[in-house]
Amino acid sequence: MTAELPWELRRRGIRDARRHDQRVREAIRKNLRHLVTEEAIISSDGQRVVRVPVRYLDRYRFRYGFPQSHQGVGQGEGQPGERLGGREGGGGPGEAGDAPGELTFETEMTVEELARLMLEDMALPWLEPRGRVSRSPELRFDEVRRVGSLANVDKRRTLHENVKRRAARGEPRPGDFVEEDLRYRSWREEPRPRFQAAAYLLLDRSASMTLDKKYVAKAFFFWMVQFLRSRYDRVEIVFIAHDAEARVVDERTFFAIGSAGGTLCSTAYRAALEHIRRHHPAVEWNNYVFHFSDGDNFPEDNAAAVEAVRELLAESRMVGYGEIVEAAGPSFYGYGREEGERGSRAEPPHGLERPKSLFGRALARLGDPRFVAVAVHRRQDVYGALRAFLLADREG
Amino acid sequence: MSAMPLEPLPPRFQEVLDQARSLGLDFFELRFEVVPEEIMAELAAYGLPTRAQHWSYGQVYNRNRLFGRMGLSRIYEIVLNNDPAHAFLLETNRPVENLLVVAHVAAHADFFKNNALFQETNRHMVAEAAAHAQRIDRYREEVGEERVEHVMDIAMALEQHIDFPRGVHRRRYEEERGRRPAASRPPRDPDEERLAELFPEEEAPPERETAPPPLPPHPERDLLWFLANYAPLTDWERDILEIQREESYYFYPQFATKILNEGWATYWHARILGEAGWLTPEETLEYARLHAAVVQPGSRLQINPYYLGYRILRDVEEQSGPERLWQLRREEDDVSLIQNFLTPELADEMELFTYGPRSRFAPSGREPELEVKSRDIDQVREFLCRPRYNYGVPLVAVSEVRHGQLYLEQLDRHVSGLDLEYAKKTLEYIGELWRGPVRLVTADSEGRELELVWEGQEEPRRRGRSG
Repeated sequence: MTAELPWELRRRGIRDARRHDQRVREAIRKNLRHLVTEEAIISSDGQRVVRVPVRYLDRYRFRYGFPQSHQGVGQGEGQPGERLGGREGGGGPGEAGDAPGELTFETEMTVEELARLMLEDMALPWLEPRGRVSRSPELRFDEVRRVGSLANVDKRRTLHENVKRRAARGEPRPGDFVEEDLRYRSWREEPRPRFQAAAYLLLDRSASMTLDKKYVAKAFFFWMVQFLRSRYDRVEIVFIAHDAEARVVDERTFFAIGSAGGTLCSTAYRAALEHIRRHHPAVEWNNYVFHFSDGDNFPEDNAAAVEAVRELLAESRMVGYGEIVEAAGPSFYGYGREEGERGSRAEPPHGLERPKSLFGRALARLGDPRFVAVAVHRRQDVYGALRAFLLADREG
Repeated sequence: MSAMPLEPLPPRFQEVLDQARSLGLDFFELRFEVVPEEIMAELAAYGLPTRAQHWSYGQVYNRNRLFGRMGLSRIYEIVLNNDPAHAFLLETNRPVENLLVVAHVAAHADFFKNNALFQETNRHMVAEAAAHAQRIDRYREEVGEERVEHVMDIAMALEQHIDFPRGVHRRRYEEERGRRPAASRPPRDPDEERLAELFPEEEAPPERETAPPPLPPHPERDLLWFLANYAPLTDWERDILEIQREESYYFYPQFATKILNEGWATYWHARILGEAGWLTPEETLEYARLHAAVVQPGSRLQINPYYLGYRILRDVEEQSGPERLWQLRREEDDVSLIQNFLTPELADEMELFTYGPRSRFAPSGREPELEVKSRDIDQVREFLCRPRYNYGVPLVAVSEVRHGQLYLEQLDRHVSGLDLEYAKKTLEYIGELWRGPVRLVTADSEGRELELVWEGQEEPRRRGRSG
């Protein structure tokens, strides 16, 4: 060993740090079904940064259940029994030093980022280029030229050229600009195929929809909206709430909605149909319909509802139906067997089942591959439902 | 990027080192290198510049970089226990900072060389760790990144469970047995056993070999050693466990002497640079500011170890003269230093107290409210020492192997049971290596005994035990 130590060390830290980040992402992805329904995330307004607890990336080892950091030796005034308030950050007294201390891990990300991570491999199924023939070219300022209009002068680049030219003469300071210093931003017109899409989100708000069931449905719709907005810049979203009647509502109302009344699901499908025909005709629009209900439909309405879905399928790319069976609370702990447990071939992927209600079974008889129905038992099934819908054209 | 060894040494560095030696400090040859901040962050994260890669170092490295950028903590110096001793200086250090650091690391290097706890450490660990890293890289190529990383995860989960007094080089029980008469009654507790070694009882009558001797013959705290020797592992798995264990033994003395070692180094940089004639008046002013920052007391709930060590050593010097300090540096560690040399008078002067939660039943997930508990010197010493035994981890030992099942027991469960979620996961790790059922006795939050069982399929179950 000579005095010079091998300095591949520098790459090491960066490489291991990258591997660590990758593990964070893996941990998040593995636990999306739990994160998806974290109140802290859903109740954020989408702009805010959320703290994602990465409890699953801890360096497991034996540690005391009663945290030793809650006791120790301090200094200063105070009589026994006097309050000290909480700990102001930092580990316990024994945790400073050479041994890597406690690293409780919370990573901060924007809801958008989380949505990207969650939904990165998903896409609207069966999406086709549709839209008016008049292309709306996209303007992109991404070239710099020596000719152009003064309105588009690129000041930074112009200054740069000026200094460069004068420095060559031994005066590295900006001054007397000449024609040849000027640089202009320019743009290319990029005709892009249009993917006009509209999403119809239908929520059952009848009396049987308990707070827990509505929470599950809203969690689903929250992520659906996140997904649509982050991925498709021109998607139009229509919110419809129904009990025995259906209404188109705005987003705020939709997410703040209470429960009352009986259940006639066909009313929601009819409202969606009407809206599609008026605003989003199928020749120009990719329409998507997602409906969440507990399947507690008025039995006499089932036939009418099935008929409405049949008509909807003709006007849209797909219809997704999520049936909330029994919304339990979050599970107690989130490690152990994770994704990837598939049911039999008859079951949809992502560990979900088919709806079991009379209503759900009536819909299933449509037998159309573009009608996708899943049963959601628990909060953590929301992620599976998202995947079932958004990967419908890739997995049978 | 290559290292920048400082050769020849700047004249003032050499003067500081000469002065240190003439005052009696005795250290391995020191090799200085000047490094940028991110290399410093790496050295601090890895502990050794040549260690194998693992994502957990990346985690610490990220944190060090972040703290560095936020100005929360700068790492001015790092010195490695090695012959020669490698010392690293931050390239942004000002001249006076570097003089202070040189005096400081000379004292650290003296401590490494002479303190009793360090006598068994590998003085060529820098080269050794590089060899370890090469072997692990080879395993990565042979069996794949994922599997090697996973076994490293397991080894790291258990790395603090060694039994330091027994030493890094141990023979299997069956080889040991040939050398020592077996005790008539195997003592249950390692501490008792050590006492028995110190004060041997009457010669026990030689036992008739009837049943095979129990495995292990005493509760075994060195989990890495036990698994490496008695679990059905492949060669590369065993090697990874042994590598981790060896490095864990190497770092333990540094963990166990943090306060004393930093106190010693601080005492010496103050003594060397405080002498007249070294520094210009401007430098003296700057040095005084630096030294004050090194020995700032810390916060209300966290005492700066540099300050604590420095205060204790200065107090001993005052009471017993400077000669006594050489003995402390040779013989003590943090626990014995606090127990024997933190006097009630000094504790009063420093206004030390113990604290704890106001109530034992804090709402989970929330930081409990804390209160001052006591100013009693025994309490203060006990609370200072508690996190400094045994890497500060719970005492978990292998108690027996029966019908292929591995029985573990948390020996200090009266203090506090284990964090169950962590314990389940760690037990699962052990089960993976044992390739069979493992059980662990601990206590729940109420102090009731409880057994976790991992049977090789899903996560461990908890079972209450009728004590």
